[in-house]
Amino acid sequence: MVIECDHIVPVPLKDRLLNRSSNIWNVRFSCAQGELIKIKAPSGTGKTTFIHFLYSIRNDYEGVIRFDDTDIAGYNGNRLAQIRQYKLSIIFQDLRLFPNLTARENIELKRILQPAVKNKESVEEMAELLGIQHILDQKAGICSYGEQQRVAIIRALMQPFTWLIMDEPFSHLDSENTKKAAGLILRECKERNAGLIMTDLENDNWFPYNRQLLL
Amino acid sequence: MNGLSVLLKKLIRSGAGRKRFVAAVIGLSVAMVLILAAVQIQSDYNELLFGKNNKDSIANFLVVNKVLTDKNIGATSLSQEEITDLKNQPFVESVGLLTPSRFKASIQSASDRFPFYTDIAFESVPDEFLDITSKDWHWDEGQQFVPIIVPGMFLDFYNFQFSFSQNLPQLTREVVKMIGFKVNMYTRDGVISFPGRVVGFSDRVSSLLVPQQFMNWANTKAAGTGQNINPSRVIIQTKDPGNPALTEYLKSKNLAADADKTRFSRYRRVVDVIVNISWGTGASMLFFALLIFTMFIQLTVTSCKEEIRLLLQLGASPKQLRKFLFWQFLPVNYLVCLLTLGIIQVLQVVLHEMLAKQNISIPFTISTNVFFAALAVLLLISGTIFLSIKRYTQHNPADTNIRKFYNKYLL
Repeated sequence: MVIECDHIVPVPLKDRLLNRSSNIWNVRFSCAQGELIKIKAPSGTGKTTFIHFLYSIRNDYEGVIRFDDTDIAGYNGNRLAQIRQYKLSIIFQDLRLFPNLTARENIELKRILQPAVKNKESVEEMAELLGIQHILDQKAGICSYGEQQRVAIIRALMQPFTWLIMDEPFSHLDSENTKKAAGLILRECKERNAGLIMTDLENDNWFPYNRQLLL
Repeated sequence: MNGLSVLLKKLIRSGAGRKRFVAAVIGLSVAMVLILAAVQIQSDYNELLFGKNNKDSIANFLVVNKVLTDKNIGATSLSQEEITDLKNQPFVESVGLLTPSRFKASIQSASDRFPFYTDIAFESVPDEFLDITSKDWHWDEGQQFVPIIVPGMFLDFYNFQFSFSQNLPQLTREVVKMIGFKVNMYTRDGVISFPGRVVGFSDRVSSLLVPQQFMNWANTKAAGTGQNINPSRVIIQTKDPGNPALTEYLKSKNLAADADKTRFSRYRRVVDVIVNISWGTGASMLFFALLIFTMFIQLTVTSCKEEIRLLLQLGASPKQLRKFLFWQFLPVNYLVCLLTLGIIQVLQVVLHEMLAKQNISIPFTISTNVFFAALAVLLLISGTIFLSIKRYTQHNPADTNIRKFYNKYLL
């Protein structure tokens, strides 16, 4: 799936953003299937806003976003759900786990929301890899941020996707754990021949990026 | 239940309105019992009226005439308008005119060994209103023999009263049919006599009947063609002599019918009132139960607003969620439906036993109409649930609504 952004500008930030140069706002660019893209964004430049535009949580923008030449503004609820189940996976900056479900249930929900592509053993395997096997049966609400972040990462890897969108996915992890998580993410992307878009405040080398864009 | 439903059930809990839910289900059950009972009572009553076991052929034919009062003595004939109006009533299948003889007549025995003589008058009705089929029942001009139909109760009167007082032998119907006699008709040109015989006994019309053709001929012969007077009595065929509308109508037109045959109308009115009360109460209870149900669904959806929003964000489709919610709320209604059918069946058995003691037979099992009614109510409930889920999940602040909001106010 090709993602194309054609001169998009968030309406609430329009005046401020048009005065600065950006690789994303008010320009035309596209992301080819399988590309690994890093978006570096200083605070307040609309990083999360951009992610939410791509994921159709918000659409208060001017311009057009297209997936494979289709304007995503025209998607209805069921089409959107299809995209989110098969094409686009996401790791939210604010994680968005169900606090009353256990970590395992949070992951399981995403695994079986569509016909499963991962088995239960792979959940165990990933949890072990990221060192959160022991909290799998704890309520997500009482897990630490670091643990929750890793649960959110595993959850995002349960579904089929062609793009993985990540909004500061390692913000609560130390470098050791980040390395493990990035390795897992890369492995899963390669397995699906999928691309990734990652936003962060600083430069990093967690993935062999094809492109680095400045917001 | 599949794994996803288990997880969704944990997320979309309906604990908040449990009591309301129970109230709605109880209300629904009572409403269903009332509605289905109404259908069953109606069906039982119809069975009593029209069922083969209770068939009463004489009940379907009524002889109608004006009520004789001081004021209308000598003017009891029914006008053409009155007859047409009667024909046009929905509860009247057909109307037959009773033609009275307009000549003096008598019958006397053919032999002196068994002498009798009596003055009489005849009437005739169209053949389709008769309950007698006899091969002798016809008359053509030039034919000598005149067949006669006698009310069954005339013979009863003779056999069980008259014969005792006069020391005469009792006569069976078969014997009476074998007795030949002379029918005398007094015309302006003198007396004409015909051989006659009783060919049947009717329980439907309490007159001495001769074939219509004979009556037409004889009336013309005796009184001339010019005086075609209106009939005083008509016979009507009706599906339901117990229909209160029929009784009302006759009363309003100052007409009288064989009162005994309309006796059902009183019971019918009572049954109608019971059925209507049951219907009305059931329908309004159903309405309120559905209202509570709808509110309960709204409450559930609103109290799980955040969970539903996140589920949609994670990729759950609105269709998936609606299907889940639908099956959360529907099965209890199937249960209510089955339970209600059970209750109605038990009540029917009790009623069956009670009425059997009074020799009234109603079916042992509930009518198929009750099943159709239950199905209809179930469809109504399903429709309501479906629509309210659709409505409230649409009003949910899901992504699409944020989109609408921005489109409307910011773009």
